[in-house]
Amino acid sequence: MNGKDLASLLATATCALLGTSSPARAEGEKPWSLDTALLLYKESDSRVQDVSAAIGATRRFADDRVLGLNLTADTLTGASPSGAIALDRPQTFTSPSGKATYTTVGGRIPLDDTFKDTRFAGSASWTQPMGRLYTVSGGLSASYEYDYRHFGANASLSRDFDRRNRTVSLSAAWSKDDIDPVGGPPLPLSQMLDVGATGNKAGSKSKDVLDAVLSVAQVVGHDTVVRFNYAYSRSSGYLNDPYKILSVVDPVTGDTSTRTPAATGGPDGVYVFESRPDSRTKQSFYGEVKHDFDGRVLTASYRYMSDDWGIGSHTVDARFRWPLGGGYVEPHARWYTQTAADFYRVSLVRGQALPQYASADFRLGEFDAVTLGLKYGHPLASGNEWSVRLEGYQQTGSVPSGQLIGNQARRDVTPDLTAVFLQFGYRFGL
Amino acid sequence: MKKLIPVSALLLLMGGCAHLGVEPWQRDVLARPDMALDANPLDAAIDDHIYFSKEASSGGRGFGGGGCGCN
Repeated sequence: MNGKDLASLLATATCALLGTSSPARAEGEKPWSLDTALLLYKESDSRVQDVSAAIGATRRFADDRVLGLNLTADTLTGASPSGAIALDRPQTFTSPSGKATYTTVGGRIPLDDTFKDTRFAGSASWTQPMGRLYTVSGGLSASYEYDYRHFGANASLSRDFDRRNRTVSLSAAWSKDDIDPVGGPPLPLSQMLDVGATGNKAGSKSKDVLDAVLSVAQVVGHDTVVRFNYAYSRSSGYLNDPYKILSVVDPVTGDTSTRTPAATGGPDGVYVFESRPDSRTKQSFYGEVKHDFDGRVLTASYRYMSDDWGIGSHTVDARFRWPLGGGYVEPHARWYTQTAADFYRVSLVRGQALPQYASADFRLGEFDAVTLGLKYGHPLASGNEWSVRLEGYQQTGSVPSGQLIGNQARRDVTPDLTAVFLQFGYRFGL
Repeated sequence: MKKLIPVSALLLLMGGCAHLGVEPWQRDVLARPDMALDANPLDAAIDDHIYFSKEASSGGRGFGGGGCGCN
């Protein structure tokens, strides 16, 4: 091993112990390390498609000072479940803009295919040692969609203990997001109106999110490292999804109540916009272990999350990196399960008092999800590396039978999701 | 009470940490890039954004991502 290799290994070891990303890669002396990715994401049934390009750049300076930059651009198209229930007949809705209608086929869960979005996101961070045992970092993040803007700031402080075998970090982040949906944010639980009617729309909204993470990374042995995180997150402000609705149904048949649209066009059923609480507190525990089996590396993690909306979730994730030829393969499996929010409803019943909060967004319902994937990475003689990754994701929802009314029991009520994503990556030094 | 169990486990583990760890000259395996805790930050960020948009949980490993995730 020559001196440069040794210096590179030592630098990476420091990063490993600090629990930070690894800025000094095999190319060693090159000051910039760039990580690029092109992602193609596609859901079944012509639902969401995303083409995304991302670049992460790390510039390493003397004395272990590190600048990190990230940029991402996404283009989303396709259709998304609106929250309305399936009926045997076609259904007509006013589009979020309030300027047109769209009609969905009978027998299937209605999808809103009117969205098209482009998202740009960027972040910058600065990390540096402070004294012999401390490391501080600070960063800014921002993202832009035509109906959504995010701005955030974060800071973290780490300290090494026990011959740098243990690193304890405390991080905090704050963000402020502005939401300006197409056609204006609808008033919670207001009815979907005819084309051209704007009486149920309000001005733009915002939300604040405060996050804190306490992290302990510990070297267990020469081939094993573990990490434990406790994370606290509090969101307040406008937490609705402005595009999600609920069907108002007949108490006996369970079918959506009909209405006569105006001559300009409008919904042919009664639908109301969702209503979520204006604050949410989440807590999560995360544990991760990384173990080397003579060159093969297992990374396994578990996360438990619960919030004050009644949602609890478990996530188990494992990947195994296996050298193959001049590169490596890395199979990946992930299992996720969540319980429903207290205010999750398949539909609302006509004639009953409206609850304070209600949402039919399937992401707040009860479901299990499985991801299976495989990555192949190939380092080059230059120290650069290309990789390709294919992952398949499947969500299977369930609804308590007590929530189903009349005909709903014989129809599909959860919009199960299948998605595939393919990612090409290239990592290089400059 | 349920929430206290992971915290207690963490504290117990930290208490036992005096017997864990290695000397500086035993770090050859840990020093490899593939043994870094965040070996693939870009993959992790992409995954986090996808799951943030499709599930009710986010973050845990680090901070949740930004954006609407409306669709």
